[in-house]
Amino acid sequence: MKIAVLIKDVPDLVEELELTEEGRLAVDDMSFVPSEWDDQALEEALILKEGDAGSTVTAVAIDTGDVDNMLFTALAKGADRGVKLVGDFNREMSNRARAEVLAHYCHTEGFDLILTGVQAIDDLDGQIAGLVAGRLGAAHASVVRDVALGSTSVTCIQEYSGGKMAELRLTVPAVLGIQAAQKTPRYVTVSKVRQMQKSASLEEIEGESSEAPALEIRRLYPPVASSHAEMWGDDVEELADRIVNLLEEKKLLRS
Amino acid sequence: MTLRVFLMILTVAMIMGSAALFIRRILTIYHVMQKARPVNRTDRLGERIKSVLVQVGLHRRMFRISFSGLLHYFIFSGFIILLIDVVETLGEIFFPGFTVGPILAPLVDIWVILVAVGILMALYNRLVIKPERFHGSDEKDAFLILGLIGAIIVGIVIHDSFFPFVAPEVLHVADPVARAHFLGYAVSRLWVVLGWTGPTAASIGYAFGYLLDMGVVFAFLAYLPYSKHLHIFAAVPNIFWRNLEPAGQLVPKPIEDTMAIRTFEDLTWKDVADLYTCTECGRCQAVCPAHAAGQPLSPKMIILQLRDALNDRLADKNPNAEYPDLAGGVIAPEELWACTTCGACQEVCPVFIEHVPKIAGLRSALLEDGIVDPNAQKVLMSWDRQGNSFGQPGRKRPLWAKGIEVPIKDARKEPVDWLWFVGDFASYDPRVQHLTQLIAKMLTQAGVDFGILYESEVNSGNDALRIGEYGLFESLAQKNIDALSKAQYRRIFTTDPHSLNALKNEYPKFGFQAPVMHYTEAFLELIDQGRLVVSPVPIRVTYHDPCYLGRWNGITEAPRQLMARCGVHLVEMPRHGAQSFCCGAGGGRIWMDETGIADRPANQRIREALALPDIQFFTVACPKDVSMFSASVTAMGVEEKVRVVDIAEILAVAIGLQAESSLALMTV
Ligand code: SF4
Ligand code: SF4
Repeated sequence: MKIAVLIKDVPDLVEELELTEEGRLAVDDMSFVPSEWDDQALEEALILKEGDAGSTVTAVAIDTGDVDNMLFTALAKGADRGVKLVGDFNREMSNRARAEVLAHYCHTEGFDLILTGVQAIDDLDGQIAGLVAGRLGAAHASVVRDVALGSTSVTCIQEYSGGKMAELRLTVPAVLGIQAAQKTPRYVTVSKVRQMQKSASLEEIEGESSEAPALEIRRLYPPVASSHAEMWGDDVEELADRIVNLLEEKKLLRS
Repeated sequence: MTLRVFLMILTVAMIMGSAALFIRRILTIYHVMQKARPVNRTDRLGERIKSVLVQVGLHRRMFRISFSGLLHYFIFSGFIILLIDVVETLGEIFFPGFTVGPILAPLVDIWVILVAVGILMALYNRLVIKPERFHGSDEKDAFLILGLIGAIIVGIVIHDSFFPFVAPEVLHVADPVARAHFLGYAVSRLWVVLGWTGPTAASIGYAFGYLLDMGVVFAFLAYLPYSKHLHIFAAVPNIFWRNLEPAGQLVPKPIEDTMAIRTFEDLTWKDVADLYTCTECGRCQAVCPAHAAGQPLSPKMIILQLRDALNDRLADKNPNAEYPDLAGGVIAPEELWACTTCGACQEVCPVFIEHVPKIAGLRSALLEDGIVDPNAQKVLMSWDRQGNSFGQPGRKRPLWAKGIEVPIKDARKEPVDWLWFVGDFASYDPRVQHLTQLIAKMLTQAGVDFGILYESEVNSGNDALRIGEYGLFESLAQKNIDALSKAQYRRIFTTDPHSLNALKNEYPKFGFQAPVMHYTEAFLELIDQGRLVVSPVPIRVTYHDPCYLGRWNGITEAPRQLMARCGVHLVEMPRHGAQSFCCGAGGGRIWMDETGIADRPANQRIREALALPDIQFFTVACPKDVSMFSASVTAMGVEEKVRVVDIAEILAVAIGLQAESSLALMTV
């Protein structure tokens, strides 16, 4: 099957996020890492490819700045093609706008299966898979794992709360929002990525964007603490009493 | 005459047959070596010859286990004396009247006795003592060889005992050394009693002894290169080709493509020679911390599995045959990832086999295939992204320096005398940070002009390299070298042996050169210059040599002298100095899964210390050791018996920076 994986990078949360005076993320000072769910989607795609000799994997990213390394990493891990959709894009692009660009490209390529991370730390609405599927008129499922290829369909598992699971079958073309790959995303060595940078090249394709309704961020701000922790000191006897009292007060003690 | 002709024809046939088999085998191995990677091991002739004399002639490493050393010395020297016998015996038949003379002849008999004693000792060793280190070795082969050697010495005595009769009556020559071969002569008295001295009986007896001796010698020659006893020939060249570069240097030159070992051609020719030199003695296995912990790794088995796989491939006539991968197939990932790269195996191997570069190369192949412990993988990614193993922002690296009274210069902005390369653990680990601060205060007290690189320092890459991630090591090294090249300093100072090893031994291949000192060396110097005044701290301690300080960098004296200057009474553990026992943290192990570890090396080490009389302190000189051993002491519940202290803490008391009560044992 012809598989595409839609990937993007997100702020590295190891670093503390900072806001500019205008209440925007200080994007210029931040470092970016591949979104971990997209990494899972890529791993799932590579596993599928390994299990099916005829399949190819294309890693696709919108050029919102500095995505080359991420794409070369995907190539080093085993993707066949790395595609960078270039245009007037930046990191504040909304998911609606992203989905437009991605769907345009996917349409021209005619992929059978499109995987992407179910969500990202900077977008918790998990819309990319659904929006792209909608634009393509393709089948869609999200929050899925354990994808398996059929001849003209794919199956996957969707997990519900309360311990229920469903096995889904989708006729291709299909778009899946991957929750987790079948195994931890593989490690790729620094020299392998470097060799890729020397020996392979990325396909730069003009990204087509169409108008998409957008949300406006009015304000970004750190959460305001509603109350503060109270320090109870270090007297063991007193501490024990207070803990017992608290548990009783909250009705957490059973007699 | 018929006896001579008969034996001559047989001997020539045996020589030709065994030489052909011998040469064919050696050529096969030579071809493999030819196709392997290059490495320069023929420089510094003088040093090489000297080490052969010491290690072969004096059996320096062999004698570390006295019983085995002695028995081997008997048998080994027997082989040299055997040459006298071979010359003499062949001479007797091919050049009637030939003799080695009355001085050399009795030597043969003396050595027959010594070899016999050696064989008995070897049998005792293998049948009664049964050291664990032989587990996994081919013991049948060992017994076969002992049997063959036994046959040779019996043959020697037998033909010597008949020669006094054969010489005059059959060969018509004199036997001037009949009595000099005192063993043979003694036995010949028996023949006199039995009346086996006539031409026929003596000829038969002589031919029997001759064939037992020469026949087995040539059979031995043909069989040797197909067995572990190839070491009889290979040991000398292998010791000659030993690594004379700094021991702590894992990779001698920058690597263009990959350090991964996937085929036998990815080994160096010396690596191939190593495989055929292994004596299966298991000394490496006996000192391996991973093996002692119950993990599936034995350095001996790494060598033997590689050798056997190579032999299988050499024996296979099918050019298209598929073989299992070396890394992950021939050698299981669990074996490779269990190694702490402590180097104890290399240190003890009597024939100077180098295990660690092979293990690192095989690990590299696993890594390229994505087979790596998930936690180690996380650490590799943290090094790549944040430059430290803690997954903390680089900006936080110098946070330990905030809030202490002493000012710490920024070596990127102003020249300093000592540039302190702090290292990950000393910078980030909350259990170690107070020590780092203590060091800063002591440097200040001594009036040392020092500074750090602040957030421009990244992990040294020592462990990344040993995990097999050469590219990451190189990029970390490059970042540090860039930062260092912009700073002005006279020397580098560090508390971390792993950083020390990288800066000292791994960075020079990128053109970096600077004196690097461990804090124990540096503080010793400060005391001797009178810049730090110490008053005695009369405590009894034992000291753990960190692998990357003691074994890999030979710094064993400075920590001991520093403690001695502080008036500390040191009691050594049985395993110390270059023979120290690893804490289990090296080579990336500190981040890997511990399943399969039955008995942690660090716990074993604490038990070793507890077995010493009246030891209250377990001193260390490596930030990782502070973490590792403190954890063990807590896990074992022995806080009231022993306390892990860094030498720096003792020094702080000795120079009055901390109260002696800071060294008290935990009271429960
Ligand atoms: S380096 Fe240490 S842990 Fe690794 S094989 Fe050798 S002795 Fe064992
Ligand atoms: S590698 Fe060295 S120490 Fe280990 S078994 Fe072989 S010869 Fe002995």
